[in-house]
Amino acid sequence: MINVTGLGAISAAGGNVAETLESFNLKKRNAGTVTLFETPLKYPVFEVKHIPEEYYLEGRRTLSLALISVDEALRDAGLENDLSGLRVGVCLGTTVACQLNDLEFYQSYRDTGSASMIPVDRYLKGNLAEFISRKFKARGPVLTVVNACSSGTDAIGVALSWLKNGLCDIAIAGGADELNRIPLCGFGSLGIVSGELCAPFDRDRKGLNLGEGAGVLVIETKESAARRGRSSDLYLSGYGSASDSYHLTAPRPDGAGLERAILKALSDSGIKPGDIGFVNAHGTATQDNDLVEGSTLGRIFGTELKMLSTKGYTGHTLGAAGGLEAVFSAAALREEWIPASAGFNNKDENIPLIPVTERSDIRGGYALSTSLAFGGNNAALVIGRRRK
Amino acid sequence: MNILGMGIVFARGRGVDSLDKALHEGWQAPAEVEIKGRKSFAYRVDQQAISDRTLLKNMRRADKLSKMAVVAASEALANSRIEDLNRKRVGIITATALGAHVTTFDFLDDILEYGDAGVSPTTFSNSVHNAAASYISSALGIEGPTLTVTQFFFAFHSALQLAQVWLNEGRCDYVLAGAVEQYGDVLAYIHDTKLTPAPDGRIRPFNFKPAYQVPGEGSVFFLLSNKKQDNSFCEVHTVSVNADEIDLPQADLYIIDADGLLAYESIYKDCLSSAIPVASYSPLFGSMLSGSAFNCAAGALMLRNQKIYASPVTDNFNGLNIASETSPCCIELIRCIRYNCLDEKAVVYLRKARD
Repeated sequence: MINVTGLGAISAAGGNVAETLESFNLKKRNAGTVTLFETPLKYPVFEVKHIPEEYYLEGRRTLSLALISVDEALRDAGLENDLSGLRVGVCLGTTVACQLNDLEFYQSYRDTGSASMIPVDRYLKGNLAEFISRKFKARGPVLTVVNACSSGTDAIGVALSWLKNGLCDIAIAGGADELNRIPLCGFGSLGIVSGELCAPFDRDRKGLNLGEGAGVLVIETKESAARRGRSSDLYLSGYGSASDSYHLTAPRPDGAGLERAILKALSDSGIKPGDIGFVNAHGTATQDNDLVEGSTLGRIFGTELKMLSTKGYTGHTLGAAGGLEAVFSAAALREEWIPASAGFNNKDENIPLIPVTERSDIRGGYALSTSLAFGGNNAALVIGRRRK
Repeated sequence: MNILGMGIVFARGRGVDSLDKALHEGWQAPAEVEIKGRKSFAYRVDQQAISDRTLLKNMRRADKLSKMAVVAASEALANSRIEDLNRKRVGIITATALGAHVTTFDFLDDILEYGDAGVSPTTFSNSVHNAAASYISSALGIEGPTLTVTQFFFAFHSALQLAQVWLNEGRCDYVLAGAVEQYGDVLAYIHDTKLTPAPDGRIRPFNFKPAYQVPGEGSVFFLLSNKKQDNSFCEVHTVSVNADEIDLPQADLYIIDADGLLAYESIYKDCLSSAIPVASYSPLFGSMLSGSAFNCAAGALMLRNQKIYASPVTDNFNGLNIASETSPCCIELIRCIRYNCLDEKAVVYLRKARD
């Protein structure tokens, strides 16, 4: 049994888990125009408005976001900032932080044939999982997952496998990504960014909004938690992943890869679809994603499934999304409610189910969180809660 | 787990036969390249090696990184000679340190030249780190879990470690695990600025200080499984990343990944023994952050062929016991070692396939 002993989250919805839940409860959507960099693109985005000074790292915003989230998760787990005496692995997903995409550096090189090495050094010292591992003196396996939008979910799945196979006793797992000009231009060019606030699963959805943040779980073997005198009502019970083998950017229309990922996560957990209390869907609000995901969820779970997308509160945070949504799912299981799926108003007749439109109480001991990625990877996590 | 198939594309060609030939022939001078008026050397993959109209028919717009990865992964499958593979039970783990940096810079060119709203969606979608793995999945019809991982020195080791975990827990029956890196002019500029370029194009792995580098590119993939078959290359016995190595019988050969990517590489001396020969094949492949995969490929071939290949460059200023001749030999165990700039170590033990 792999316990979830710590949760940490930062996004436009809040600087920590408690603030985020409050935003969810109040249906607050903290979106606005881009302030982090100059761009003529006028899409609404979900920025994190405040990074405390002690976490600020020049030119490495993704790492700052990750640090905040990891710090919160470690405190929640009752762990110190020096983990050197424990067998702790670090597996984190990202997209932006893995690329040397510093425009100033590149423009200088392009124009003059030379450029400052400061951005290069920042990049070389900024591998997300390596940075966090060194910062907290973790002595277990280290891996940065770069699986586009499923990176965070896959990172948690990898960490789960590490723990089950004895590679470490504790793992820091999740994802982090900053809002950055390069992907904003890129997603804009693909024609899948909305000029309005996103509306996941809505009939009139016009595309995604980009966001930023970090979401991290501390997961731990039962024996390790017991040695530390910790207990938890939450546990990570299963992970599934499967590839579409179809297209670089479009999901497979029949959802077969997503279905296999979900069924694997359920079988890993030893449960049936009916045991799932709610699904925190990927729900980006693009035409293709929501159609394929909604149809697949309806096929597996039926039309009465309680489901939502939290991207109406956070935007699409790319490599952080799976981490954040795993944290939100775990917190919802503990709080026994899920928020309204922000942005939804009208049923799409091509999608067999509708997301919850009001704060809803949940029953059942399991939540499913799904991610679909560029490149055709699909990933699913099952999180459980023991009830007293 | 066992290496059932292996595919490689590198400066000296494509496929295991090309690797065997290069190991026999030894060092050859890399290509001279001129970038913005500066001359340097690089181990480049010839376009001919990745010109495969059948395999790459649906990825004409893909970049060189993705094409190299697909070619190597395809070679690994074919090389295993396994028919009727259930491709839903095959996973993919692609390791890369720098990913599609060339395409990323192409995308930055777009922004600089055409503005934020005038960029190419094709260039953007090919610049994401997992594009290569996605192309492998679609070109080869593989529907298992598909993951791309990145670290600066140990990405390949972490990929091997995870492949073992996936196989052990039954997530897959087979895993295609490998590495891919691409050469580019910005990378070459960074190399030449931060590290010591080899003045004659010759990486000297046993020199240690100064440590000469020559950028390389290419891809290696291994088809891994807990299943065995007659034509297996060898067993991946143990992978340790920044952790205590488990006690194993003494290795017959050490392969070090010294390739000039550390400013000083004297740390390698600490892990060697005068009683055990040491080799390094990075002068055949070039300096790459995922270069361990290429040295492991050489090790796997040696275990299958029961032959130690001579190190291609044997300059020996440190009194080492260098494997300097190619000769048939009974080899049971090879220890492949990589250090990073923090003196952390990753080790792969390759063992002769068991009956």
